[in-house]
Formats: sequence, structure tokens, C-alpha cells
Amino acid sequence: MSFLLPKLSSKRDVDHAIKTTSEKVLVLRFGRDEDHVCLQLDDILSKTSHDLSKMATIYIVDVDKVPVYTRYFDISYIPSTIFFFNGQHMKVDYGSPDHTKFVGSFKTKQDFIDLIEVIYRGAMRGKLIVQSPIDPQNIPRYDLLYQGV
Amino acid sequence: MVVYECNVCKRSVFTGRRKHVYERSHRERLAGLLKGFSSKVAGARKMIKVASVVKYDSLEHEQRFWCYCCEEEVKRHTSDGTLTVLYGGMLEHMKSPQHKKAVNKFWWIHQAERNLKEQFLLTSEEYERFKSSLIKALENYEETEDVLIKEVAAQIREVESSRFAMLQSLLEVCFLRSNEQYPNQLVHKMPVTQPTGEEEVWSNDAHLTGRATTCIEAVPTDCDEAGPSGINNKALGIPPTGSGPCLTFVGHQEMPVKGNVHTGALPPWMIPDEEDGTEAVQEIGPSFEEFLKQNINTEVRKAKLQKRRGVMRTNWQNNLFQINCLQHIPFCNISVWLQTMKYNLHTNWTLCMYVCMCMYFVC
Repeated sequence: MSFLLPKLSSKRDVDHAIKTTSEKVLVLRFGRDEDHVCLQLDDILSKTSHDLSKMATIYIVDVDKVPVYTRYFDISYIPSTIFFFNGQHMKVDYGSPDHTKFVGSFKTKQDFIDLIEVIYRGAMRGKLIVQSPIDPQNIPRYDLLYQGV
Repeated sequence: MVVYECNVCKRSVFTGRRKHVYERSHRERLAGLLKGFSSKVAGARKMIKVASVVKYDSLEHEQRFWCYCCEEEVKRHTSDGTLTVLYGGMLEHMKSPQHKKAVNKFWWIHQAERNLKEQFLLTSEEYERFKSSLIKALENYEETEDVLIKEVAAQIREVESSRFAMLQSLLEVCFLRSNEQYPNQLVHKMPVTQPTGEEEVWSNDAHLTGRATTCIEAVPTDCDEAGPSGINNKALGIPPTGSGPCLTFVGHQEMPVKGNVHTGALPPWMIPDEEDGTEAVQEIGPSFEEFLKQNINTEVRKAKLQKRRGVMRTNWQNNLFQINCLQHIPFCNISVWLQTMKYNLHTNWTLCMYVCMCMYFVC
């Protein structure tokens, strides 16, 4: 999907994207191009990127190329999607224990669009954490392993 | 005169029974016979005090013994197909009235020693004793069997885990090989479920299937699957879930020394790139100094928040707060204070505090 969405393959690129994306939600999808769940998510991201172009910038990041980020965000499962706004990490309460990232694929395009809108509106009001508008039934559940946290 | 046939000597006697039973040869044969028989009976008599229950063995526990008094074959042990009570059949036979009758008859016919007669008979008291010891023995046997089963189960689990580890290592090797050819191949597959309302269970088989090929093939299995392979969602406390695409597992991330997002560590984009050697120009977003300031501010705000009126407090914090309030209220304004306290009288603890304070002011 790298031909449909811009790809970041180094820490410097990711740093640059975070620091330079202003007044828009930055969406970073950590995963691998060949992974089938990543492909599903990329399909949703690429199809919605045009509609959300005024609200969000979407990048795909190879999880193996940026180990610093992988470790920092504790990415154990791919795809994991992380949101930023004006260089600030945006947390979302999905109803799961982890608010820092969305693990797995969105079920529908509308889910993703709704989430971006909520993050955008929340961030514009100066919030750092927002409530996810996605139906809990559509959020994949998984076991997290917090190591000593 | 009727010819007497002696069962002990196995021959016909023309002199008559009364003369024959006192013959030396007969006495010797009878003593030998009773000696052999008593050794068998002694073995059985040992079981009266300490009964023994063992696992059934068809070859060993189908033995019979010849009762010289009844002149018939009797089962030595009692068994129900799974368990065997050693010498159970023999003791039961010795207790039976037929045997008692036969022993009396035998002793009368062969004029054996009267002292010996007692050991070939079993009184009802002895039989009751045997029964009580048998109950204990059965309980002990069940306990030992349970322990044995647990040991075997542990052994099976160990073997299974070692097999699983071996399989996993093999898959790792296969993956590494394939990864050399196809660098972006899947590493691991871990089951991640999406809730759809149906309750299903991921088994290890499904797990492995997912690893080896594609996770969509993960097959839900029956909830009641036995053994350690089955992972029950109910037991794990996971909400009802259905089959869904499982995600690729990229390995548990070791927490860096500086921490991660959960511990509030410095984010990577604020750390200057090591390759660059020069610090990147900050365009937007909080700088390192601002980040630290934010952290300090958050702590200060949290500390302040504790003192605020109307903030959610625990019960003891609430009482502490009220005590603090009381120190500032002058004595003359006691009616207002009483009203305030009346409003705040929620718990018995507060009531106690209130009474104490009243006493303090009166004094």
C-alpha cells in the first residue's frame, strides 16, 4: 500500500513528520506491508485519506525500521495506529487498557473517520485524551503484557 | 464292615476310622496338611488388622485356594474388576457358617488338635475389624491414586510444553530461513479476537495453524476441550468473543532504560538523531524543556487538587478535611458550624469526631 500512502522508513522521517505536521491529526500506522491485517487497515486508510485530507495526514511506518518507536510505544502486535496533533501524542480511550494506540484494523471506514474527527475536535480544544466514538463491538480485544508498568 | 476312605491319607482303611485316626502315619500327614493350610490362613489373618487394597491384576488376583475342610476351591482375593482386596475372599469364606460346620466336622473326623481349630475360623468381631480396616485402606488407596494421577498429569503437561517449545523453535527456524528469502514475512501469529457475540475458544492448534500459514484459518474449538491445550475464555475472564483476524506478533518489547509511553519517558521525536550529531530544529510541538515543565506542572496540579473543596475524596480524607475546617471556625460561630457539621454527618466516624470536638470546646 506504500504506493497509495506515504511511507516512513527511518526515525528521522518519523521525527520530521511528527514535528512538521501542524493543525492536522497525524496518523502513523506501524506495521508491515505484507501483513494481511495491515493490508486491510491500509485499504481503509488509503480510501479515507482523501476525504480526511483537511483533518488528517496519514503515514505508514515499517515497524522493523524504527525500533526506537516500536519500543517506546510498546508495539507488540501489528498493525498499531498512533495519533498525534501538533507534535503531541494524542491518547484515545477505546475502552481497552491501552489508550496510547489502536491495535488491529478498523472495521469500517466510517469508524476511522469518526475517530479522526473526534481526535481533531478534541485536540483543537486542547485535549490530550479523547473518548473513542467507535462501537466497542468493533474494537478488537487483546491481552496486553505490561512489563512492570 | 464298611471300608473307611481317609481323605488325608488318600487311601482306604480296613481297620475303621476310629483306629486309623490315631495311627502315626495319619497324624503326621494331618499335621503336615494343617501346617500348610495354617500358613495360608496366617497370611489372610494378617489382613484383619491392616487390610490391603491394590490395583486389579487378572493373573495375580484370580488365584484360588483349596479348603481342606470344605473340600472345595475358594477365591483367595476379592476384586471388582478395578480394585482387589487381598485375601478378602479367603476371610469371607472363613467367616461363613458352612465353613464353620465343615471345620467342626473335619476336626471330629480326623481328631485334629483342638487348639488349632480356632485359627481356621473367623469370628464376627474379627470380620468387623477387617471391614473397618478395609474402609481405611480404600480411602488411602484413593488418595494415593489421586496423587499418582496428578503426578502423571504434571508429567504429561511437561512433555506437552517441551514438545510445544520444540515445535515453536522449529517454526522459528523455518521462519528465519524464509525471512532470509522474504524479509517481510510474518514472524508470529497470536490470536487476537474480535467480539461478535459468539463465545468461542482458541486452541493451541488454532494458534499454531495461524502461525504457520494464515491466522484466518484459526479454527474455533469446543469450550469443553480438556487438557492444558484448551484455553477457555471463560476461565481467562475475556468477554465473549468470536473468530476474527489475528494480528501478527512482533515480540514483546523490552522496556528501554528510560521507560516507554506508559511510564512517561521522553518521546523519541524529542531525542536528537544519533546519526545526525546535530540537534534538529524544533518546528512545532513541545520541546524537551516544555515537556519537563509539563510533567512538573502536572505533579503540582495533582498536589493542589487534593486540597480543593468538592474534589472526590475517600472517607478518611473527607474526615481529615473536616477536622482541618474545624480548626478555622471560631467558637462564637458554633451554630453555623453545627449546621455545617450536621450537613456533613454521613458516617459514624464523623459523629465520633463531632462529639470529641464538642467535648474539647466545652472544656
